[in-house]
Amino acid sequence: MTDTRRARYVALFATETRTLLASARRALAGWREQPEEAAPAEEVFRVLHTIKGMAASLEFNALAEHVHAAEGALAGVRSGERAADHWFLAALEETLDALAVESDAVVAAETTPRGAAAPAARIVRVDSDRLDALLAELGGLVTARQELERRAEADSLSPIGRAAIKLARRLDRLQDRILAVRLAPFGELLERVPPMIRDLARQLGKDVTVEVQGEGIEVDRAILDRLGEPLLHLLRNAVDHGLETPEARRAAGKAAAGRITVAARQDRNVVELEVRDDGHGIDREAVVAKAIERGALEAGAHLDDEDLLAILARPGFSTAAQVTDVSGRGVGLDAVLARMREVGATVSLATTPGAGTTFTIRMPTRLGIVRALVTRVGEEPYVLPLTHVTELAAWDAASSEVHQGRNMIRIRDALIPVVDLRRLVQFRGTAPPVRRPAVIMASQGRRMALLADAVEGQVDAVVQPLDRPQRLPRWITGATILEDGQPALMLDLASVI
Amino acid sequence: MPHRILICDDAIFMRTMIADILTSGGYEIAGEAESGLQAVERYRELKPDLVTMDIVMPDMGGIDAVKAIVAEDPSARILMCSAMGQQALVVEAVQAGAKDFVVKPFQPARVLEAVQRVLSA
Repeated sequence: MTDTRRARYVALFATETRTLLASARRALAGWREQPEEAAPAEEVFRVLHTIKGMAASLEFNALAEHVHAAEGALAGVRSGERAADHWFLAALEETLDALAVESDAVVAAETTPRGAAAPAARIVRVDSDRLDALLAELGGLVTARQELERRAEADSLSPIGRAAIKLARRLDRLQDRILAVRLAPFGELLERVPPMIRDLARQLGKDVTVEVQGEGIEVDRAILDRLGEPLLHLLRNAVDHGLETPEARRAAGKAAAGRITVAARQDRNVVELEVRDDGHGIDREAVVAKAIERGALEAGAHLDDEDLLAILARPGFSTAAQVTDVSGRGVGLDAVLARMREVGATVSLATTPGAGTTFTIRMPTRLGIVRALVTRVGEEPYVLPLTHVTELAAWDAASSEVHQGRNMIRIRDALIPVVDLRRLVQFRGTAPPVRRPAVIMASQGRRMALLADAVEGQVDAVVQPLDRPQRLPRWITGATILEDGQPALMLDLASVI
Repeated sequence: MPHRILICDDAIFMRTMIADILTSGGYEIAGEAESGLQAVERYRELKPDLVTMDIVMPDMGGIDAVKAIVAEDPSARILMCSAMGQQALVVEAVQAGAKDFVVKPFQPARVLEAVQRVLSA
């Protein structure tokens, strides 16, 4: 086998083994719920068998032996001699983890360059500072490109104009390529999840099945690197406070093993990471009672999921021991949210009594540059990421309706609450125009119509993080420089909706 | 005209490896299938000169696929690809109508020999 050909097989082995082990874990999760079912055993067997064949073909003999042994342990269950009891399934899960680690190790041993003798490595290690410097440089370039393009479009027939447009297109692609260099697969983070949860479960005496999805989805490495710690927080909370004890679960008519799912999903330029447990949900009444006691809420208040998260995320609130005792969320949710905001991510919560809790982290795939809408209030520009913008509509006093004391705008058949950007940013200048653009935004099933004075178009905004003054509202997420050199604030209004 | 071969295996890795071996021997790859069910469909559609068939696959295993293919085309030429320690299954496959077998890990020379044997029989 030539070196190049072998390198190709090893790469196939690496990705296919990962996919197969993920499929075995899914089968195992189903198996736990229905221990009598034969299909999961067959699927795990197929996975082991296939990995064994691949490992043997590449002469990863120790690995092939280990997989063969695992296959043997499964034989008794497949033939019906042995029951797939809790201990068997727990041992099998550990075997799958161990095989994942071992196969990664044999691949790494082969693909890490060892001097000139190693097969042509196609991976270069780069200091992340250099990548950051490249990104910073790119920021200036993007701004310059937009100005170039705007001017060239006014002069698109001249040779210079045409050359400038060509150059702008090329710069576009360069921007894409540079950003792609920084992308890393979620698998790097997700593969640490099952061992992490099992550790927690052991410490806390819980029985947990883990499922991870979306290993192949890519995000900027800077975002991925910052997700580890918050993810651990969320998982710890899910195992500790979210899931019931095996006894309590049985009493509630659920499978003894709790289930935790960590799933990454991509929707164009946004990636969602979902951490879901099937535990008892957050005890809303207990949180309300606690908040009233602390004077954070008025008596008789009702909380929806969004309000609940806001309360739980108050510094110091969620760590309060009493709340934890009555099933609150433990450590430092405020810290989780703060870390996520740093990378432009938002966190949302959905919880159902008796059925479980889901945290969803929404983040941009690419750090630093977002497609955004430039709006204006008076002479002041404000930039809105397109993430939550669904459409634009025209507003004037005649099209506005008042319902329950709130200004609403009718878009087709729906009434959407109107928020005036002038009020939000406390603009005190000239009177607003009579007809104003309404930017319709949606987040988590709710909508809002944001009134600006003017909408000027879309840009790729290079976001500079702000040194945040103490009382800056948290929906001001950064600043950017517009094409004409004017600075503008970046507003992420998902939290206002 | 080179003989056309259909490769059935649930692992891309194995399909790539078999395809490399067969192409190096001057054969043409008619198509690939990743489950027993797909193997039967692809066979019907491609009418290949030979099929390489893995035993353990999702949906429908290799042995059932052999039975289904032979039921439709008794002259089908199928070469089983099995892992070590599956002698019993290989025997079952041959009874079901497979012509020969090779054992993983593949040695290119052995695979090409077996293919030639089946094609010239």
